[in-house]
Amino acid sequence: MFKIEEFDIKLDTDVIGRNFYYFDEIDSTNSYLLDESNIKINGSVVLAENQLKGRGRRDRNWTSVKEQSLTFSILLNRNLNAKNINILNLGASLAVAQAIENLYQLDVELKWPNDILVGGKKVAGILLDAVSKGDKIEKVVVGFGINVNQPNFTGKFLIPATSIKLEFKRDSNRERLLSEILNFFESILIQIDKDKSKILSDWRARCKMIGEKIKITDSNGEKFGKFEDIDDEGFLLFESRGILEKIHFGDVSIRR
Amino acid sequence: MDIALLKKLIKVVEQSKITEFSVQEGDLKVKISKNTNSNSFQGFPQPHHFTVAAPSVVEAPAKETKESVPVSAANLHEVRSPIVGTFYRAPAPDADAYAQVGDQITEGNVLCIVEAMKLMNEIESDASGKIVKILVENATPVEYNQPLFLIEKN
Repeated sequence: MFKIEEFDIKLDTDVIGRNFYYFDEIDSTNSYLLDESNIKINGSVVLAENQLKGRGRRDRNWTSVKEQSLTFSILLNRNLNAKNINILNLGASLAVAQAIENLYQLDVELKWPNDILVGGKKVAGILLDAVSKGDKIEKVVVGFGINVNQPNFTGKFLIPATSIKLEFKRDSNRERLLSEILNFFESILIQIDKDKSKILSDWRARCKMIGEKIKITDSNGEKFGKFEDIDDEGFLLFESRGILEKIHFGDVSIRR
Repeated sequence: MDIALLKKLIKVVEQSKITEFSVQEGDLKVKISKNTNSNSFQGFPQPHHFTVAAPSVVEAPAKETKESVPVSAANLHEVRSPIVGTFYRAPAPDADAYAQVGDQITEGNVLCIVEAMKLMNEIESDASGKIVKILVENATPVEYNQPLFLIEKN
């Protein structure tokens, strides 16, 4: 069971998570918040122990484990600036990294665009959904999936999976972790409006792929080159045969 | 010369009375001209053509289209992309497209998805009417404010 009082006591935000919903089971926390008829309050958080239709990017699944993982989504529908949307995306993964570092002193690595790794294995993933009317963004839902207390993983993963328990060598408190992530997330939201470059530099500092030879896999196939940097908008700058290309999406891996 | 600058130049020419414009930077020569003779349909700015003499750094003109239906009225509206990303006409690779040319849509209907860095942005129509053109090919990149759909308003 998720102990809401424990979560609430450590929550130090003004907006994010102040409106909080807990579900034993739901189709998808992102889908729930995307449905306008459900919740309209900016900063609302929906947490579910089990998702029947947990999603990753395009068709991929995300598996939640009752009482062992943290699966939640945040609704943002105020002051959204389309030009900052990628910074928000990177910032969400940065918030998770900062929370894990702060609570467990683990060495966290960020993988473009927003995977969170410990010891080269994936401990958390993020999927964002947005709704725009024409060129105006009306809402963004930031979905987080965090492996907290899973003792092991079976099955095949694109990137090997791990949990905080496996890395930290003991059980961790999900309530405390959630409040910590939301605290950092709200700070990052405030930071985005003030100075985006701080978020970009904090993100870069945790990305070990910059400067490395990488492989990018997308629907068109594979391409090989160098992870030059991320640009001011958060896109990956990919260098191949002297030509710099801006990458919008794709699976990035180190080329060995 | 980068694509962004090129696009800016095209926009400047587009919004001006200039019909032909050329610029040279190093060995890259760019000529932008408005083709005022080939009218595809009434009441909408004609497609602009530009030719580039040198490296293959230029994409096809954004307004070149694959699908269209004849248009009777001049009451046209462009649905534009809010973000830079990749344009998808369907929610998943094997799913049906959200919208087709000829579809009657109402404001708020989902027309497409633009993806950027694991953010899936559903674009709803900001007008009601009939889709007369889909201006972007599926799974190709789009820029800020790039027109995606052309709608003949009711």
